[in-house]
Amino acid sequence: MELLCGEVDPVRRAVPDANLLHDDRVLQNLLTIEERYLPQCSYFKCVQKDIQPYMRRMVATWMLEVCEEQKCEEEVFPLAINYLDRFLAGVPTPKTHLQLLGAVCMFLASKLKETIPLTAEKLCIYTDNSVKPQELLEWELVVLGKLKWNLAAVTPHDFIEHILRKLPQPSEKLSLIRKHAQTFIALCATDFKFAMYPPSMIATGSVGAAICGLQQDEDVSSLTGDALVDLLAKITNTDVDCLKACQEQIEVVLLNSLQQYRQDQGDGSKSEDELDQASTPTDVRDIDL
Amino acid sequence: MSEPSRDAHQIPRGSKACRRLFGPVDSEQLRRDCDALMASCVQEARERWNFDFVTETPLEGDFAWERMRGLGLPKLYLPAGPRGTRDDLGGGKWPSTSSALLQGTSQEDHVDLSLSCTLVPHSPERPEGSPGGPGTSQGRKRRQTSMTDFYHSKRRLISSKRKP
Repeated sequence: MELLCGEVDPVRRAVPDANLLHDDRVLQNLLTIEERYLPQCSYFKCVQKDIQPYMRRMVATWMLEVCEEQKCEEEVFPLAINYLDRFLAGVPTPKTHLQLLGAVCMFLASKLKETIPLTAEKLCIYTDNSVKPQELLEWELVVLGKLKWNLAAVTPHDFIEHILRKLPQPSEKLSLIRKHAQTFIALCATDFKFAMYPPSMIATGSVGAAICGLQQDEDVSSLTGDALVDLLAKITNTDVDCLKACQEQIEVVLLNSLQQYRQDQGDGSKSEDELDQASTPTDVRDIDL
Repeated sequence: MSEPSRDAHQIPRGSKACRRLFGPVDSEQLRRDCDALMASCVQEARERWNFDFVTETPLEGDFAWERMRGLGLPKLYLPAGPRGTRDDLGGGKWPSTSSALLQGTSQEDHVDLSLSCTLVPHSPERPEGSPGGPGTSQGRKRRQTSMTDFYHSKRRLISSKRKP
């Protein structure tokens, strides 16, 4: 008998369930239902009068910072953005409510996905106390009502393991590819351009962009170029040209955010864990967007 | 893999993420908008279910509502009595409309009461499935065990509407 002594990780996670991840029916079901959770329209044109696209980027960037600082599970941020977009697609909202709305969406997504969720009090501190916990809780009900309590939205993260499993990569490379793909997914969530894309396409494009980015420095993949895109497109039934376009857009967004990052570096403050990085600078976590 | 617990993860002092993005927030306007949106949720639910959730009265419509007692539902689904947390969080300040819809009323005689609804077939509708057999006219009647089971019924209603 072996005795194990060690600090217990207080964050409880379910182990990956092979019954779910190794079953194609699960992937097919995800592909079937994902469109249900997309925002109903491009709301800057048809719903919102006060809110501009740059404001969504501001609130999304802030939400990402909070999720990073609180070490939220990876899905929390894209899920919260999904709630935000779906709410804004239906309810005209003044810009002064936008940060509260972002906080509410993180509150809900964290409760759905985490064992130790973010508290209302903490989120209010992150708004510099411009909203009170009580207001946050009241708006939680409003958002729930408007989302019709449909919170278990499909996110790009739901597809990642299904995609990675079907790639011919050596398993030791997978964790790096996974990490970079997750970063691309977060990056996509900050940009409204991707809000109406199906999560499967964002996931597939992110995995493709991750492999292409990593491939420049080390050999992570036996498949490259068109062969890789073809395989990826087949896995999620995505149109090859759409997928290519999506992957290119992701790469453009990455470049833009890197430029922004370098500009900010000129202003001083460096992020603490900047050095804890892979050789390719594809980790948005350390970029101040 | 291992991460510190949320508790140990306090907000770092001077965190850049603590900031207000769009200037001062008008609490009064928040309150007004919140009430208006909640009222619209209540109205939507009222039309959707032909049920007045504020007064808990059935209305005319596709669903036939009936009272049920003692379903043995988990306490979670029953309207709560006075609970500390809710009051702390401003339960008392709620307009009755919103709390009635989303949290149940606190009237004591409702503690063990649920409502069941049945989809009423429209008269010009043809019966589903093989015609003529006994019981087929009841085939479209579907009983819910409780409001918590609303989703199937919702789908059912939509499909029945689509049928010309």
